[in-house]
Amino acid sequence: MNKEIKLSVNDLKISFRTDAGKVQAVRNISFDLYKGETLAIVGESGSGKSVTSKAIMGISAGNSIYEGGEILYDGQDLVRIPEEEMHKLRGDKIAMIFQDPLSSLNPIMRIGKQITEAMLLKNKANRKEGRVTFNKTLAELSGMIKKALAETPNANVSAADVDKYIKTFDEFNIQAIKLENSYNDARTKAGETIAAIENLLFLIEKKQKVDVASEVGRIRRSLKEINDKYFISNCEETLKAHDAALEGAIRAAKATKNGDFTKTVEVLEALKETANQLLERTQYNFFRIGYYVYKKPETDFSRMSAEEANEITKKFLDENFMDSFIALMKIAVQYSFDKTIENKKVAIEALDNAIKFFKAGAFSAKEAEEACKNVNKSVLAAIDPLAIIKDNVAYTFGGALQREVEKYFFYVKNNPKEEARFAKQTAKREALLAKGKNVDWKVIPKSVVELEDQIKTIVSVLTRVKERFQADVANAQSFDADKRCVEIIDYLKEKASQVVYTLTKRMAKEKAIKLMEEVGIPEARTRYRQYPFEFSGGMRQRIVIAIALSANPDILICDEPTTALDVTIQAQILELINRLKREHNLSIIFITHDLGVVANMADRIAVMYAGKIVEYGTAEEVFYNPQHPYTWALLSSMPDLDTNEKLDAIPGTPPNMIYPPVGDAFAERNKYAMEIDFEMQPPMYEVSPTHYAATWLLHPNAPKVEIPKIITERIRRMKERGGNHGE
Amino acid sequence: MANNGEVLLKVDHLCQYFRLGRKDLKAVDDVSFEIKKGETFGLVGESGCGKTTTGRSIIKLYDITSGSVYFKGQRIGAGTRGYRDAIAAARAEAAKKIKLLRAEKDVDAARKAAIEEQIKKINQELGEIVDKNRALIRDAKTDSKQVDKQYAESLLKALDAEYSQKFRAAEGNSEKLKALKKEYQIRCRVAKKSRLITQIQMIFQDPIASLDPRMTVRDIIAEGLVINGITDKAYINEKVYEILEMVGLVREHADRYPHEFSGGQRQRIGIARAVIMQPEMIIADEPISALDVSIQAQVINLLNDLRDRLGLTIMFIAHDLSVVKYFSDRIGVMYFGKMVELAESDELFKNPLHPYTKSLLSAIPLPDPVYEKQRTRILYNPIAEHDYSVDKPSFREITPGHFVYCNDAEEEKYKQQVK
Repeated sequence: MNKEIKLSVNDLKISFRTDAGKVQAVRNISFDLYKGETLAIVGESGSGKSVTSKAIMGISAGNSIYEGGEILYDGQDLVRIPEEEMHKLRGDKIAMIFQDPLSSLNPIMRIGKQITEAMLLKNKANRKEGRVTFNKTLAELSGMIKKALAETPNANVSAADVDKYIKTFDEFNIQAIKLENSYNDARTKAGETIAAIENLLFLIEKKQKVDVASEVGRIRRSLKEINDKYFISNCEETLKAHDAALEGAIRAAKATKNGDFTKTVEVLEALKETANQLLERTQYNFFRIGYYVYKKPETDFSRMSAEEANEITKKFLDENFMDSFIALMKIAVQYSFDKTIENKKVAIEALDNAIKFFKAGAFSAKEAEEACKNVNKSVLAAIDPLAIIKDNVAYTFGGALQREVEKYFFYVKNNPKEEARFAKQTAKREALLAKGKNVDWKVIPKSVVELEDQIKTIVSVLTRVKERFQADVANAQSFDADKRCVEIIDYLKEKASQVVYTLTKRMAKEKAIKLMEEVGIPEARTRYRQYPFEFSGGMRQRIVIAIALSANPDILICDEPTTALDVTIQAQILELINRLKREHNLSIIFITHDLGVVANMADRIAVMYAGKIVEYGTAEEVFYNPQHPYTWALLSSMPDLDTNEKLDAIPGTPPNMIYPPVGDAFAERNKYAMEIDFEMQPPMYEVSPTHYAATWLLHPNAPKVEIPKIITERIRRMKERGGNHGE
Repeated sequence: MANNGEVLLKVDHLCQYFRLGRKDLKAVDDVSFEIKKGETFGLVGESGCGKTTTGRSIIKLYDITSGSVYFKGQRIGAGTRGYRDAIAAARAEAAKKIKLLRAEKDVDAARKAAIEEQIKKINQELGEIVDKNRALIRDAKTDSKQVDKQYAESLLKALDAEYSQKFRAAEGNSEKLKALKKEYQIRCRVAKKSRLITQIQMIFQDPIASLDPRMTVRDIIAEGLVINGITDKAYINEKVYEILEMVGLVREHADRYPHEFSGGQRQRIGIARAVIMQPEMIIADEPISALDVSIQAQVINLLNDLRDRLGLTIMFIAHDLSVVKYFSDRIGVMYFGKMVELAESDELFKNPLHPYTKSLLSAIPLPDPVYEKQRTRILYNPIAEHDYSVDKPSFREITPGHFVYCNDAEEEKYKQQVK
């Protein structure tokens, strides 16, 4: 799969300390989240869905214990990073929408403040952070160029030239972005004005009661705010004429007794037309114009049409700066890449040595530490500093390895203790049973990590990096330096726009109101000043979504966001989330138990039961070709619009996770359970490269089991309805 | 399941307004429908559209503003606001007419006499209207107050008839007569306290909030019996155990407290509490929306079983349309306090007529990814859809059994559509 992995969870294991014992909420789950996709986690309450998502957010309850595993995001392991680091990610990069909106809103703070608070804070942090990364990347780049030049001297450029190039890029880029921001503001304002005009025209047409004069006044005021010279270039006169015409029309309408607004409507139509034309015009390329204006500040392109200006500035930029700058960058990128490939080859050797060392066993703590240090050093050296997408595996390698090695030594010391406890408890239980007493507790299984197994884990950490590096080395030929250059420039542009974008309180308010309208809150302007208790449940949930989105996150975790809402509102919220996903290329983890919602939202689905993922696949695969009995049960327990049969309710309740079952956790409620289900946990069987299920029914020796009729019927109906379905 | 005979519950122009500052909040506005014996009537609509208020008004948790509710032909609830409004309107009209007549100037004696005559006539008409409406108000008040008394009296009468025969049969046998007399007394006491409204029971949405945390399950379930004057402990216990088993719990659960149960079991307790009164009708107000997926199916199946076994009539209020479709015989769609469409459930899903129903149906998510990703939602904007400025709408029957809230023009349109 070539999609970019945003977040990956490996072997995560979380327990809760309670009075009654240790509740194993999440037991060794792993999944990946790709960029721009929605992963739905389905299951009953208590299956560990929310625990997983809270672990990703770093907001697990106080009595939780991370027993193992890792959550990798952007080169960091979220389970282990300190709280200060987590602060930077939480809400900003990873946002969450909770099930109960009231508990995530502050009851004594006005809605407006709650929405803008995050925006303002984030903007402040972003400007700082953007500056730091921008400088760091540029410094990295210039350093690399200099290094490359030192090895293969080039007659045309000197080190001083490089500095000059970098400085120029920095300065003109910032300037260009300032121009672009102002242009974009005008654009959005124009869009809003058009919407306001359309709304007013609609109300007039439907003969609704509306204060036309004040509405028109509002439109004229917003018209005045559209004053970016690039946006209204060559059109100022027309706009002014429209404005005057509007004023005249309103005055005339006021003079008539019944308020005849025919003239006003005409003018508004014309104004709408003009604004639409403005929006449809070709956009200026401000990156290019920025450079031109930086070099020759007196030039004004706003009189020129966008096509012309773009053409002229492109030529100027390419000839004077970009061609040579990109050439320089290319040298650096190629140099850095070649260097890392070499380093990777070295690292692979080091890794091989380490694998041999650990496989041999019988190592002392000191030796192991030494080996870790060495191999980590060579792995870190093999990371390409100019790669924009960070390689999670390599970045977190050091920590992961050290952790596993520490665990090994911990168990070397602690094995006997655990063994003793287990023996004692078993003896006690048996003694009680022998006396004929009713024993209602079970022996807690040995939490002993077998030393052999632990070595295997250590080796697997090593091999994972090794395989990654080997693949990189093998693919070295297909490396495209030009593409990497474009990536870097885009990245720098993005960071620069972060630096430039300053959000004032007033802007934040406008943005918040726009956001509130976007999530479907009517009369956002009045509601901005209200308190949470003045909103209905659906409205509150929308506010929570608005707050989550105000920070423009990378990953959005939705924990049953629509469970408390009714169908129409639910459909609206889902559409909203889907739209935002498309627009911002968000990655979403969607937690729910409503299969209809899942079908709507999910690209891929993970079905969870008793802290484990029991089935995992694309939405089509899970719905049209379900494999696990629990998935069958879930599907057949809810009626759809054509269901007439008696529903197949799942009998009983989920198991008590203080004493997780030895075998398949679902076995007790499963009518297809076989003997082995009670004795051994089934492994993940591969159904297709993207579809896995953990059930013994997929074992080659298992008896053939028919999928329940209610499901086959339903799949048949779906196929009839949809026509062309994949298997 | 629905037999087309007896109408069990009839709601007639029900209005339920709430005071909201100076204005009225019209939570339920002129809603009429009938529920037949043995059928399941689903009520759907978005939150805040008045579904729950309708249910609560029927069971007399609120005093209804205007309109009437008939249960088994008896008027159990009646509002007076409509009549008072009618009186006020008639008065205003009369005053206006008189003012117009009085305003005539420079009239001769004959005309003056004629005017006086007319005014007298108007006043007389007004008086008639006022008297008529006052009588109606009086009726409504007595009906909603006396219905239980009458019901108790009728029960007593039936008891009298039953026991007078038994006494006669047992004459001479003094021991048997004594036992019979005791039985008669107990039953009389129960009958005196009986109220017609107990024939309608309600199941609430949130099982945690609707159960008293300090009462045992036995007390919770038996509370209705105790209030009705039954004191026989053994009888109560017997009854509680029977009901517990009926709803899928066991006897041992009777002495536990609600917090010891899971969500599904708590809802079962709520159902048991409703069923023990041997009601003819149950109003289930979103009984499954607070429950977990796998439990929802259990509760639906349980309600289905009970309906078949006890011949219950159920009014099912919910916002999950797939469940309502699965469970109900007829469905009413509400929008902002008005009933906009009412039809047999299959008919409603096949031929939705009102634009709001269409929009509601287009919003149901189905567990079918391919279909879901193609589904487009129909938007409903009442201002754009209807023009009620001249032609006023009302609730009309388009095809037999299929009612839509519309005006003349729309009625024509819908009739065309159905053809």
